[in-house]
Amino acid sequence: MIRSHFLNLLMFSALVAIFFAFLTQNRPKDRVRVILVLGGAMVVLSLIVAYVMYPFPRQQ
Amino acid sequence: MAETSPDPVNTSAAPPPERLSVSPVLPCVLAWLTPGLGHLYLGKRGRGIAFFFVVLSAFGLGLASGGTASLIDPQQPLSYLATFDNLALGPFDLVGRLASVGSLEYRLPPDEGHPRRVALMSRLRERVRHPTYEYGNTFLLTAGLMNILLILDAFDIAAGRKD
Repeated sequence: MIRSHFLNLLMFSALVAIFFAFLTQNRPKDRVRVILVLGGAMVVLSLIVAYVMYPFPRQQ
Repeated sequence: MAETSPDPVNTSAAPPPERLSVSPVLPCVLAWLTPGLGHLYLGKRGRGIAFFFVVLSAFGLGLASGGTASLIDPQQPLSYLATFDNLALGPFDLVGRLASVGSLEYRLPPDEGHPRRVALMSRLRERVRHPTYEYGNTFLLTAGLMNILLILDAFDIAAGRKD
């Protein structure tokens, strides 16, 4: 069990990126590119959304 | 002497690769039984092995993180979709259901006071208290969605629509 939010994000992004890389590409080089671009985009966009949401107070 | 220009109609040197065309039913059933097995059957060995490990990793992480197989609750329409998604994992759904719900049940009794519903809801509340329950559910549902895509992909390959 992984309790870290960030590690869960990394694991999820990696699995989804690998899945779509193998689903959509045939050549190993293209698969690596999709893994890096898709996985990286998922992590970076999640961090940006998290940062943007940070100032918002939780509803009491 | 005039140079001969290349034929504009027939410029490709090699013929297009021959596409596989077999009955799509068996690969789809195999893909449903075990993630990646449909692709292995169709000769896509690398893809099949990768899909097997990716989908099973998501499934295993989901269960280990406290995720729960969904039960149909007539009061919650989305529970139908979530249960269908779980079922897309084939026999692995049975494992997930036994590990999380404790029995092979797919539907909550609609009557609020039904003893079976009370017992199942109690079991589900225990799982919800798990700190990583939401992550677990996300991994489990994602594993099911990935296998739905694999079944459709195996269909396309078998029908000759995709290499």
